[in-house]
Amino acid sequence: MDRPNNGHRKTFLEKMGEKFPFFQRKNKSKLYLSDRQPLTLQGKIGLVIAHLVLIIWSVIIIWPLYQMVVSAFNGLQDGYLVLNRNFEFSLKHFEYLFNETLYLAWVRNTIFISVSTALLTLLFVSFTGYAYSRYRFKGRKASLMAILLIQTIPVFAGITAFFTMHSILSSVLPYFTRQMMLILIYSGGAIAANTFILKGYIDSISTELDDAAKIDGCSNMQIYRLIIMPVAKPMLMIIGLWSFIGPFMDFLMPRVLLTSPRSYTLAAGLFTLVNDFRTMNQPAFAAGGLLTAIPIVLLFVSLQGQLVSGLSKGSVKG
Amino acid sequence: MKVVLKNIGKKYEGREEFTLKDINLEVEDQEFCVILGPSGCGKTTMLRMIAGLNSITEGDLLFNDKRMNKVAPKDRDIAMVFQSYALYPHMTVYENMAFSLTMRKERKSLIDERVQEAAKVLQMEENLYVKPSDISGGQRQRVALGRAMVRNPKVFLMDEPLSNLDAKLREHMRVELIRLHKQLGTTTIYVTHDQTEAMTMASKIVLMDDGIIQQVGKPDDLYMRPKNLFVAAFIGSPSMNIIKGKIEQGRFVSDNRLMQITPTETHKEGLKAYEGKAVSAGIRPERFESGGEYGDTFNVNVEVVEMLGKEKILYGKLDDGHELIISTPGHYKYEGGERYSFGYELEAIHYFDQETGERIN
Repeated sequence: MDRPNNGHRKTFLEKMGEKFPFFQRKNKSKLYLSDRQPLTLQGKIGLVIAHLVLIIWSVIIIWPLYQMVVSAFNGLQDGYLVLNRNFEFSLKHFEYLFNETLYLAWVRNTIFISVSTALLTLLFVSFTGYAYSRYRFKGRKASLMAILLIQTIPVFAGITAFFTMHSILSSVLPYFTRQMMLILIYSGGAIAANTFILKGYIDSISTELDDAAKIDGCSNMQIYRLIIMPVAKPMLMIIGLWSFIGPFMDFLMPRVLLTSPRSYTLAAGLFTLVNDFRTMNQPAFAAGGLLTAIPIVLLFVSLQGQLVSGLSKGSVKG
Repeated sequence: MKVVLKNIGKKYEGREEFTLKDINLEVEDQEFCVILGPSGCGKTTMLRMIAGLNSITEGDLLFNDKRMNKVAPKDRDIAMVFQSYALYPHMTVYENMAFSLTMRKERKSLIDERVQEAAKVLQMEENLYVKPSDISGGQRQRVALGRAMVRNPKVFLMDEPLSNLDAKLREHMRVELIRLHKQLGTTTIYVTHDQTEAMTMASKIVLMDDGIIQQVGKPDDLYMRPKNLFVAAFIGSPSMNIIKGKIEQGRFVSDNRLMQITPTETHKEGLKAYEGKAVSAGIRPERFESGGEYGDTFNVNVEVVEMLGKEKILYGKLDDGHELIISTPGHYKYEGGERYSFGYELEAIHYFDQETGERIN
């Protein structure tokens, strides 16, 4: 005799659902809970197309990155990258990078240039942003406009001027290297661009905060240092980060300005691994690229909290 | 501390005209002085000049007979509470309150003592170590007050401190502020555009309009004896009925001839000189006599009745369409769409010269 069956036998999914709530199907009932209108046929087709586009897009971005990572660790690759399925884990490209090339020198150069650029930019931008936001002076509007307009000219257009400036400066200051020139160029551009951004941000900080600080006994410098800068910290972080990353990304300026491979930045240095058949080593280039991403990613991760916090905090009525 | 403004004027950079001109005002020691006025009348400018945040173009600002025009805000022995509270968002409540003393390089123990004391008065002891973003609007308001209190200032300046609070909390804080004012024994100068705040809190109201002080006095004075038409219309809610007319044979006759008022003997004296001239009569909504049968009466068509419980507000029109607001006790029976007769409380009528707007009686 069969056991009495109450017309219902538990399905596999339901059994799993009891054991692991994770498996439970959401919205078992037929209630439509979304706040949006149900999709029409047109909407569904649109959704599919949108997803297709996004997926193709991601593949375009992710596939080369994936190839870069794989080739960097693939011991079977040498010289020219060959796309095949053979893979053998090895760190030989990294060894090559560290032992046979000036990679470490390039890292040092890049970090030196990036850190100096970021610091210089932050220092000046915090002053200019504060001044443009809080003070009314002659030529304020005109100079802001000038800064805005000058930015439409690409930095590279000034390359001859940069050479001349460098030769003049280095004749006066013998220690003024090409790298320092590069720092000045990078931070000069960053200061101009970010002055606007920081001015806008400081504009959004109530001037009543300044007034309160004034009554509490702050000088203008103290208002800047103790009140405005801490409040504007998230934006300063972003500006600092951008100006730090800039030198990592730029290839043209260091390539033209810097003459000896020993003074190259990462971008310019790594390029020597792929542009000349004598020094050609594409997997090492991939390995170098991978390593380059590490400091930037670390910086992003560590600053993430600070970048977001504060943006949502209101000093005044919330 | 006594605060005196002598012929103070203010002209902003790049403006053609003076924002404030010839301001004369005396605020006695321990007084709660409310500067009241519609927006844009210059009241905040005046407060900021007293605080030293705006420069004084002309005239003298005296604190206890000492000229303060060029003294830096921090050395004026004042504290200010701002409309937006202006708390430093990156500091805790404790650091916010301690900031001014820290800037003065006071001893740590003294700072702590003062902050704890202020926190106790304001019942903020439990929230001392959180950031301003983590507390409610009412609590932020208190922190702003506490920040002002710890300095033991001689003058408290407040710039619409209650305007960001909800109605209930505002009522509560009004009482708190007065209590605090009495407890601290300081001079308080308070700016607001809300006449209820002014009437309930002030020991002296300064009513301003268009950069000019219209009237200075106790809340009673401003309500009972408004100096001019602006004060009459501004103070009181619902506002005073102003009826335009002229004096004919010693009686006030409205332009539409629907309202005729025989002034009392004392009022007649003042009105003598205005025989045949244009005069406005002002009557507070609660100063009409319900169901007037004798003496001067008039008829009004009531359109809307607002029942507020203790009183009924009748919005009506005279036969020619002139609007009137009448307030009666709540238990009187009035219906919209009906016609009623009213009389006047003759001694409560204000007469104003239409040309100058000045009070006559």
